[in-house]
Parts: sequence; structure tokens; C-alpha cells
Amino acid sequence: MKISTSRFGDIPVDETRIIQMRGGILGFEHLKQYILLTQDEKTPFWWLQSTEDGAIAFVVINSFVVDPVYAPIITDNDVRLLEIASSEDVVSMSVVTIVADPLKITANMRAPIIINIKKKLAKQIVLQNNEYAVQYSLTDTASAMENDGVGDAGNLSNLKKVSTTLAL
Amino acid sequence: MLILTRKLGEAIRIGDNIRITVSDIKGKQIRIGIEAPDDLLVHREEVYTMIQEQNMKALQYAVEADQRLPDLWNKLVKHKEDGE
Repeated sequence: MKISTSRFGDIPVDETRIIQMRGGILGFEHLKQYILLTQDEKTPFWWLQSTEDGAIAFVVINSFVVDPVYAPIITDNDVRLLEIASSEDVVSMSVVTIVADPLKITANMRAPIIINIKKKLAKQIVLQNNEYAVQYSLTDTASAMENDGVGDAGNLSNLKKVSTTLAL
Repeated sequence: MLILTRKLGEAIRIGDNIRITVSDIKGKQIRIGIEAPDDLLVHREEVYTMIQEQNMKALQYAVEADQRLPDLWNKLVKHKEDGE
């Protein structure tokens, strides 16, 4: 199928790559289908593009790239909801708030979008972990991003690899 | 708004699948138990509002930022290198 987006124009979408939101992104619960797109592989940023509303696309970053010891705790309900069988199938993406000053860019570590890559099911989960900030500064993550290498974030198999420490 | 009076341990049912129980009362604090389907979002209102507002803000800035992402990223990396 083909979708019209305000950011990427008309793009073909492989339907097997469509991610179904169960519960949706807070404030956007009416949108249930998204795809992950890269725009520039020299950055670790991805776009989570709605396939139902071309104007809606979030910048996201793998939470484990931001914080290599990230340990989100997910309830049994959500494990069932997302049909998670193994932590290796799970990727955590944090919504990024881009501001003009690059030093003030933040990622939402408190409410990551947890994606079951195998089943293509996702939900923005508000974690029980109070220690994670809604506005986590990316400048706090220097060592992590250097080690992981910016280029490594370019494909999903790498994302899977860094997500295996997810505590379920 | 529908307002119901409940005692400790009593419950309210909403539809077929949602049950809300008053599980503890201490002064001005009330603990509430919620049984609901897995796909129903249950959040403290202030947390829900905070996340929702952050999503809105992220979306708004993303609209303005799309072509500048690589540039912003390079500045961020450079800042780190300079800082070390």
C-alpha cells in the first residue's frame, strides 16, 4: 500500500512492517497503525510515522542507546497485551522532543513505546519506575552513544541486540 | 458527574469488565483497586496529562525540526567531544 505523509511525501509501505498500537500513544489513541522509518542513518533517530494520518510522525530513539542500563519494568498485563514471549523480541523507543538548542533535546524515558518486533504490537507504557524522567536530557548520555556508534542504530537487528537486557 | 458513596471494601462496576474497589482509607488518602481489561489504559491523571502534553510538544517540534535532525545531532556529539 501507499501512504501520503507530510514529511516524506508519498511512500510505499510494506504492510508486514506496520506496527499495531494497542492502547495508542497518549493523546493520539485514535491512531492505531505506525511504521518505523529512518531518515538519516548517521543519526540514531527514527521516525514513528502514522499510516492513518500522514501529518503525525514522532521522532524516537532507542531507549537503550540513551541509557545502556535502562531497565523498564513492564506489568504482566502489558506482557500479555503485547504478546511478548521473549525479551529479545522487544524494542523500547523513547519519544524525542527536539528543540532549537541541541543541548536541550530530551527523550521520554518514563513512557517508552514498547514494541514487540516479532508480532508488530506496541504500546506507550507509563512505567512504574519513578526514577525515569519524562524529559531526559540527551547530553547526559555521552559515553553510551559513543560506544554504540551512531551508525549502528541504522537497522532493526541492531536495535534488537541492544534491547536484550530488558527486564520483563 | 455521577457520584456514589462507598464504604471500605465496597466496589463499583462499570460495564461488564471494570471493577473499582475502595481498598483502604487513611485520612485524606484513599487506595483504589482497579480491575480492568489489559487493553484499557489506567493512569493517575497527572501522569497521564504530563505524558500527553510531552507527546504533543514532541510532535509540534518534530514538524519544525525534520530537516535539521542531522545538524542537531552533530552539534550534540560535538558538544560531548568538546566536553571530554
